[in-house]
Amino acid sequence: MNDMVTWLAGTWVSSHLRDLKWLWPTCETLHFVGLSLLVGGAGLFDLRLMGWMRQVSVKSLKAFMPFAIAGFAINLITGVIFFIVSPAQYAFSIVWYTKLLFIVIAGLNAMLFETTLGTRVLTLGPDEDTPLSFKLVGAVSLFSWFAVLYCGRMLPYLGTGN
Amino acid sequence: MAFFTWLQHTPFSMWIVGSESVWAYPTILTAHTVGLAILVGAATLIDLRILGVASDVPVSQFERLYRFVWIGFYINLVSGLLLFASEAADKAGQPIFLVKLALVFAALIVTVYMRSEAFRGVIAAAPTKRARMMAMSSLTLWAGAITAGRLMAYFKNGTAP
Repeated sequence: MNDMVTWLAGTWVSSHLRDLKWLWPTCETLHFVGLSLLVGGAGLFDLRLMGWMRQVSVKSLKAFMPFAIAGFAINLITGVIFFIVSPAQYAFSIVWYTKLLFIVIAGLNAMLFETTLGTRVLTLGPDEDTPLSFKLVGAVSLFSWFAVLYCGRMLPYLGTGN
Repeated sequence: MAFFTWLQHTPFSMWIVGSESVWAYPTILTAHTVGLAILVGAATLIDLRILGVASDVPVSQFERLYRFVWIGFYINLVSGLLLFASEAADKAGQPIFLVKLALVFAALIVTVYMRSEAFRGVIAAAPTKRARMMAMSSLTLWAGAITAGRLMAYFKNGTAP
C-alpha cells in the first residue's frame, strides 16, 4: 500500500494536478453540489419506498433518478481527483474504507432492487402502500447515503490517532 | 466588533475550536453538511418539479417537501451559529462569509416566496413562467451559497487560495 501511494503521488498526473491551486476547492464545491443532488434524488425515492408520499406512484419519482445519478457521477469523478492528488490522505484512512463500504452497500442494494423488485414497483399505483421488502431497501439506501456523507465529512478528523 | 471578539473567546467557543474531541468542531461541521444535503436536496426537488421534471405528478404533491427545507434550514441555522461563535471575530470581517450569508438569505427568500407563487391559490395545470423563473433562481442561489461556503475555508483573512 505504501509503495502504491508513493508511486501514485509521484506520477506526472498527480503532481501536475496538485500544482493547479484552484482544482481542489473547485472539486470540493462540485462534490457538495453532487451530494445535494444525490441525497435529494435518492432520498425522495427511498422515502417513497418506505411508504411516504404514497399518493405519488414510485414510477413517477423515477424521473428524478437521472439527477441522483448525475450527482453520483460528479462525486465519483471529483473523488477520484482527490485520491490522485492526495492518495496518502485516503489510502491509510479506515474512515475512507468505511465510506467506500457504504457506497458498495448502497450500490448493491440498488442493484438488488432493480433486478428483483424493480418490475413489481412499476405495477404499484398511487395510494398503494409498499411491501416490507421495499421499505427495507429504502431504509438501507437512505442510511447508507447518510453514512457515506458522515464518513466523508469526518474523514479529516476520525481515525487520525487523536 | 468587541462583541464578536468576546464571543470568540467564551469558554464554549474556545472548546469548539480547541477541543480534541470529535464531538466539538468536527461533529458540528458534519451536522452543517447533513443540514445542507437535506435543505438543498429538498429545495432542488421542488425546483426541478416546477421546471417540468416528473410533470405527471401534480405540483401540489411537492409542497410537503418544504418540511425538509425547514428541517435542513434549522439544523444549519443552529450548527452555523455554533461554527460562527467559534470564529466570530475572524468570520464577521471575512467578505466571502458575508457573501455566503447574502446568498443563503436570497435563496431562502426566493424558495419561500416560490411557495406562494406555485402552491397557493388556484394552482394552474403547469407552473407559471414566474414560478419557473423563481425555481431557476433558487437552484442558482443555493449552488452559489454552497460555493461561497466552501470557499470560506480558502479565503482566510482576505487572501486567495
